[in-house]
Amino acid sequence: MRLGLIGLGYIGKIHLRHCLNLESVELVAVSDLSKKALNFAKRMGAKKTLSKYQQLLEDPSIDAVIIALPTYLHASCAKSAAEIGKDILVEKPLARNVTEAREIISMARRNDSKVMVGYDMRFSPPFCALKEKIESGILGDVQIAYASNIGAGPFFHRAELGMPKPVPTWWFQKELTGGGALMDLGCHIINLFRWYFGGIASIRSYLGYRYNLDIEDQATCIARFISGPVAVINVGWFSQESQKKVELFGTVRHAIACRTAENRVLAAMKLLATRSTQYESTYLRELQYFVHCVKHDLPPSPSGNDALKDLEAISLAYKNQISLK
Amino acid sequence: MSLVGFAKVQSTRNDSIRRAILDSLDLIQYEFAKEIHNVVIKPNLCYYWDYTTGQTTDPKFVAALIDVIRAQVLSDVNISVVESDASAMRCKYAFKILGYEKMAHRCKVDLVNLSEDEHERVEVAVGGQSFRFELPQTIKSADLRVNLPKIKYMNYTRISCALKNIYGCNPYPNKFKYHGKLDEVIVALNKVMNFHLCIVDGNIVSGSHPCRLGLVMASRDPVAVDVAAARIAGLKATPRHILLASKEGVGSTSFIPKGIAPEYFEKRYPKERAIDKIMKFAYKFTQAAGLDKRLGL
Repeated sequence: MRLGLIGLGYIGKIHLRHCLNLESVELVAVSDLSKKALNFAKRMGAKKTLSKYQQLLEDPSIDAVIIALPTYLHASCAKSAAEIGKDILVEKPLARNVTEAREIISMARRNDSKVMVGYDMRFSPPFCALKEKIESGILGDVQIAYASNIGAGPFFHRAELGMPKPVPTWWFQKELTGGGALMDLGCHIINLFRWYFGGIASIRSYLGYRYNLDIEDQATCIARFISGPVAVINVGWFSQESQKKVELFGTVRHAIACRTAENRVLAAMKLLATRSTQYESTYLRELQYFVHCVKHDLPPSPSGNDALKDLEAISLAYKNQISLK
Repeated sequence: MSLVGFAKVQSTRNDSIRRAILDSLDLIQYEFAKEIHNVVIKPNLCYYWDYTTGQTTDPKFVAALIDVIRAQVLSDVNISVVESDASAMRCKYAFKILGYEKMAHRCKVDLVNLSEDEHERVEVAVGGQSFRFELPQTIKSADLRVNLPKIKYMNYTRISCALKNIYGCNPYPNKFKYHGKLDEVIVALNKVMNFHLCIVDGNIVSGSHPCRLGLVMASRDPVAVDVAAARIAGLKATPRHILLASKEGVGSTSFIPKGIAPEYFEKRYPKERAIDKIMKFAYKFTQAAGLDKRLGL
């Protein structure tokens, strides 16, 4: 399959490595505004580098594109790609708000384009194992679900090496991100729990602002699912230590899935040896699945519609805020 | 020989920090001159890491010092808290994220981004080499300049404390370009900026992991402070930039400790572990070999 990659930021570079390593994929072109990033892509083996994504979309030989741009550019880029019938893997969140997400989906539907959204937790083995446990009935009826997705958020770039990279300033502007930690990290959990339990009946949130920004850096949500379970979701950008954890409490058994930061030395060695870390391998599975869906004309999951429902839930959570004075 | 005062913060309460600052100043027999009108305070803001990481000066520490200065000098003395943009940090966001905007509003002081300040070109020689910098107007016009550094390990200079903190007074944002001659540049900037007093916020220190050390260290001499800091952090040899600063007349490597024995803090400082040293070495190696760029790190 012939792919184009748009955006060479942190996640874009992970996709780049995988596109170049995957035998079933031919990376036709990459695009980014940064010359430095394009040079890096060239050194890695990208054949064609472009400064404008519009040029990449015009290439008729490209079947599908990966969009790894800042959130505020997702809608315009995804709509342009859908308009000319490209299949799309777009990074989460799908868009800044429900309106933009609906526009992308509607454009994709009109042009018969597939839209898949990059929720990497959906391809992480421990969290997939929980889904199997729920479906096998081994847990009984899940009554309470608890999740935490805590890390440094936009402040993590290279911080672990003591040589932080600049945080792109769009991260600090609500009109460009659509929201803070709830949008950035909460969408993963909401999508995962919707995958586990189905639709959300109601959701409320408490938002925290430790860093005094216009966007929240921490959020606690409580959600009730139509199928019965009640979930507590904690997300935050405030910690240098990262953890993604889900606990399910069923009428028969309990189950836990957890993903913590990898050992730095082992991760670096693995990156040198295989060009992919344990963390990055979920992105590889995600890409392999997307390629499979496109090749065999299957509807991908998580789809654009799934991500729209996630954004609707997040929008409701922002609306239904709890005050803890 | 310079006096270095070592005092202990007894609790995390604001009055306890203020008490320890006063104690440390008493130990070095420091008295604020009464005719001071403009004060500059330079905390250490590092990236967007807040004070709990031990990497940045606690805004509560700055507020406590402001209280002390106002009580001892004049209640309406002008105080500016200064920092400059850096390769990976913008003051506009750091002041907000790290709680300095709230502190400045509460204490009625100015926050100055030196990168946006008016400045004049100055030239200074270190070790026979000449360096040119922009001297910010806010620093130039201050009657009293107070340096509030942290004690932490650093890849290039091994330790960062009083001398290294003044590196952040250089208004030029892309400071990464100086890393080739970092020792000389640090010394040159200390000669240009000429700070009068140094009070180390060692309440929470970073070390190998963040730890509540409860230290406040004060001195008029930044070189003496750095020698003491290096000893507390467990460095066996004095880092080159400290020796160079002493040679250039910035201060003295010999000091007389006053107050609590430095060994008390040395025992408790979270020393660098072998794994940290390996990681630093590995990082330097990947940089030198260009691997970081090849891997997109």
